[in-house]
Amino acid sequence: MSQIARPTAMASDPDLSDTNAKSKTPSTASSSHQNNTLSVASRRGRYDASGRKRKKLRSQYPRGSTENHVEYILVASFDIDRGPVMEHQYPVAITGDEHMLAELMLPDQAHVRNQDWTIFFLHKDPSQEEEEAERRAREERRARRARRRDRAKGIIHESDDEADGTGLDDDDWDDDSSDSEPEINEGPPLIYVLNLVNTKQDKTVKRGAIPLLLLALEEYFKAPVPETLAMLYNAVNEMDLSLMPKLSYLERHLLQVSDNKDLFVEKFEQMIQERIAEEQGEDLADQPLDASREPPKRPSIFRSGTKQHIEGHSAYAVPRDTHEFESKVVYKGIPIPIKVPVAVMPETVGDFSLIKLIQNFSEPHAKNPQTFPLHPHLTTNGPNTHPIIVLVNALLTEKRIIFLGHNMPSGEVAEAVLAACALASGGILRGFTRHAFPYTDLTKIDDLLKVPGFIAGVTNPTFEHHPEWWDLLCDLPSGKIKISSKIEAAPITEGLVYFQQQNPAYANLVGGGAAANNDLTGDAAFMADILRSIASRAGERVIRAKWRGWIQKFTRIAAAFEESVFGTSALHITSDDPEAATLAQYGHGYVWADEATKVRELAGNVTRIEAWRNTRSYYSYIQDVAQSYTLRPLKGLDLAHLHDRLRTQRLTPQQSREIYDALCKYVRSYDEICLLLSVAPESQAGLFYVALGLFHKDRDVRFRTADLLERIAEHEAGQHWWRALSRFEKLAYMRIKREAEAEARAKAMQEREGGFGIGSPTDNRRAS
Amino acid sequence: MGASMSISSLFGKLFGSKEVRILMLGLDAAGKTTILYKLKLNQTMTTIPTVGFNVENFTYKNIKFNMWDVGGQDKIRPLWRHYYSGTQALVFVVDSADHARIDEAKTELHRILNDREMSECLLLVFANKQDIAGAMDPQKITEKLELHKLGDRPWYVQPAIAIDGEGLTEGFSWLSDNIKKLPKYGGK
Repeated sequence: MSQIARPTAMASDPDLSDTNAKSKTPSTASSSHQNNTLSVASRRGRYDASGRKRKKLRSQYPRGSTENHVEYILVASFDIDRGPVMEHQYPVAITGDEHMLAELMLPDQAHVRNQDWTIFFLHKDPSQEEEEAERRAREERRARRARRRDRAKGIIHESDDEADGTGLDDDDWDDDSSDSEPEINEGPPLIYVLNLVNTKQDKTVKRGAIPLLLLALEEYFKAPVPETLAMLYNAVNEMDLSLMPKLSYLERHLLQVSDNKDLFVEKFEQMIQERIAEEQGEDLADQPLDASREPPKRPSIFRSGTKQHIEGHSAYAVPRDTHEFESKVVYKGIPIPIKVPVAVMPETVGDFSLIKLIQNFSEPHAKNPQTFPLHPHLTTNGPNTHPIIVLVNALLTEKRIIFLGHNMPSGEVAEAVLAACALASGGILRGFTRHAFPYTDLTKIDDLLKVPGFIAGVTNPTFEHHPEWWDLLCDLPSGKIKISSKIEAAPITEGLVYFQQQNPAYANLVGGGAAANNDLTGDAAFMADILRSIASRAGERVIRAKWRGWIQKFTRIAAAFEESVFGTSALHITSDDPEAATLAQYGHGYVWADEATKVRELAGNVTRIEAWRNTRSYYSYIQDVAQSYTLRPLKGLDLAHLHDRLRTQRLTPQQSREIYDALCKYVRSYDEICLLLSVAPESQAGLFYVALGLFHKDRDVRFRTADLLERIAEHEAGQHWWRALSRFEKLAYMRIKREAEAEARAKAMQEREGGFGIGSPTDNRRAS
Repeated sequence: MGASMSISSLFGKLFGSKEVRILMLGLDAAGKTTILYKLKLNQTMTTIPTVGFNVENFTYKNIKFNMWDVGGQDKIRPLWRHYYSGTQALVFVVDSADHARIDEAKTELHRILNDREMSECLLLVFANKQDIAGAMDPQKITEKLELHKLGDRPWYVQPAIAIDGEGLTEGFSWLSDNIKKLPKYGGK
């Protein structure tokens, strides 16, 4: 038999310690075997240039930062006698079980495909890691203080920017502690490993996707020496992202949800302005550069790809879409364009498509509807619950989920797993990718089964024959979802019993069985809307925003459920702070049109909420809620609640006046406006309900609403919301503004006259 | 490949014939993958070491076979047990010319058959590579594998040359005849 397969992989991570490490020494593959995978793992680090002036915009990845985009490059190959072996590691050896890593890098059936990719996550051993991180954090602080002292003394270090050594890689709370926003600790870091498998058969390598790794792997076939890896390592780490502005927590939130390609474009321009100014040696220290203010006069900077940009040959360009920062990696003199997301949501890893996932399991269901055996956590709309809802319920309630793609490239399976994580997260919940195994195989089954609630991708159909291994099996080729015959029955919980006691009239609606036809959860309507949007060619970002809305709603309903059943909720923060207490009187939480609607919706959700309340994603969400509370402006004021009341309830003029008054009174600063925009996303009605205040019966409300809208229109992000406002409402705004001006003129005139009157009675007499 | 698979599964549906799950095991380089594709496609393929497994469906004598070929390197042998569940017949492939490892093959075979999940299944042994000089004959293989110790389990040793397809039909004739006698198939 000829031995022809040779996968190679490149990966990156500092110290990996596998829990059941059976360390094996790496061995070099004999030249007759050629089956290599290349994988590159990167820790998205947190960077900060704290040496800069406060008012300047910061970069997410400042120049001169010591943190790398890629940490390690690994090459593994399949040896005919020994199975997968690690061939090379660059720049240093990764710790942990090399044999297991090599296995991970070479997917099942790699021998039948020319090319494939996977992604996997490496967890660091928590106990060891915590110590290590703490130690490094201490050192980092010490070093920072030392640098600060040195700086004060006028000593300049080679790299004066601070690279954070604690290495939280999957955070999007990536602000340095010196910033106003502390990060949320997601536990020990995850290391992402992007893996490219190339099976080389008789020296004819085919070309395909993942161009950079591909080029490098080809290069590696020519010269299987560490220097080849060093070249790739350096090329990737030299990628310049220093012109990518750093956004605040609220700004990131807005950008993630918005489909607007121009949102925060000013920040990109400003980064470039600053860079140009730096290069010209100007001192910008005293210029007003705050994002909320008017930027200084600018030389012309054009959007990337535009005619002006190409003709102008300018070195800098603003991205075509502010969601993506465009950079390039120069490898062997070939520039390879790379797009880096500007605002990264938690749990969004890799290049997946929610639309693809949803369609994969919706189309077979539409043609040939599936009926499920009932399980209270999963079939919340009865036996005809939509498969995607069954899937998201399984994710939320921490079931063991397998994506099976027999005869599919492992990359496609991994994509489905990553999409599922994002589906359940919505960018709000987390803990899914941490327990995801985008691609795994039988060799890791014993370890997999130790994980409570996993999401795994496999290609081996033997998994289907073991229903004791999983709770939900999602078969990708057929688009069918199966609930395991051996799934654990749902326990009766306290919250469920309390709810039934408190609402005896609705008790029999709980559990999904009786609820089959009346869509208590609203999920059937939601799925219909999603599928309509997809059919009408709505983009991936629109669908993600809708799912985010669904998850947001689920968490808010869960909070309302806890409050109604237990009297209090860990998902709602109350504060003793007197100011927050004053604001709290405006109410909080999810809003229903009336009490009956509320109880019905709660009844439909009880079982999955109760199951969710026991999961990792629930506990970390409690932490996140507490953390984001410390970051947000207007503590105690639930803008979403106020906005929802305007949107869903029939209000008396007095009630709506109170709401408009509160909005107009408290929403003033840059951050406060960001917060208001975040509860009124463009994808829903935008500012429509806020602007309805322009038609309020009360003149004062109309005037104040106009002032509020004026503030929003001048806001860097708010201007886009303003532009999207209907013509009808804009006209009302103009009319009110004119009215207000006329009144102000009249008043001024009156005052002037009145003033004269007091000063000189003669004039006054003459005037009258 | 896709077409022939869908046709055979269509036949399966029309005649309601049950699928028989077959597991093919053996030491590495015994010829398992070659046998699988010779049966499935009637082609001699140059195979490479199996990373994981291959699985194919084909119909023979009106029986729909779902045949699993699992890699035989010693590193991945511990995974074999995950394929036992639901298997009705084991096809064990031996390199008859590999005198040095016939004992190893025996140990592995008995380990498989001792598993509780395999207690009911039939055993077909392909004494492969009969074309190589010095290859052991079926009698010798039977002896070396200690098949007489197996008790009342139906077993059969078929000499074969997989690359020419020689012996494969005969082996599968025995298999299909005996499968029809199983209570799980036809009997039910």
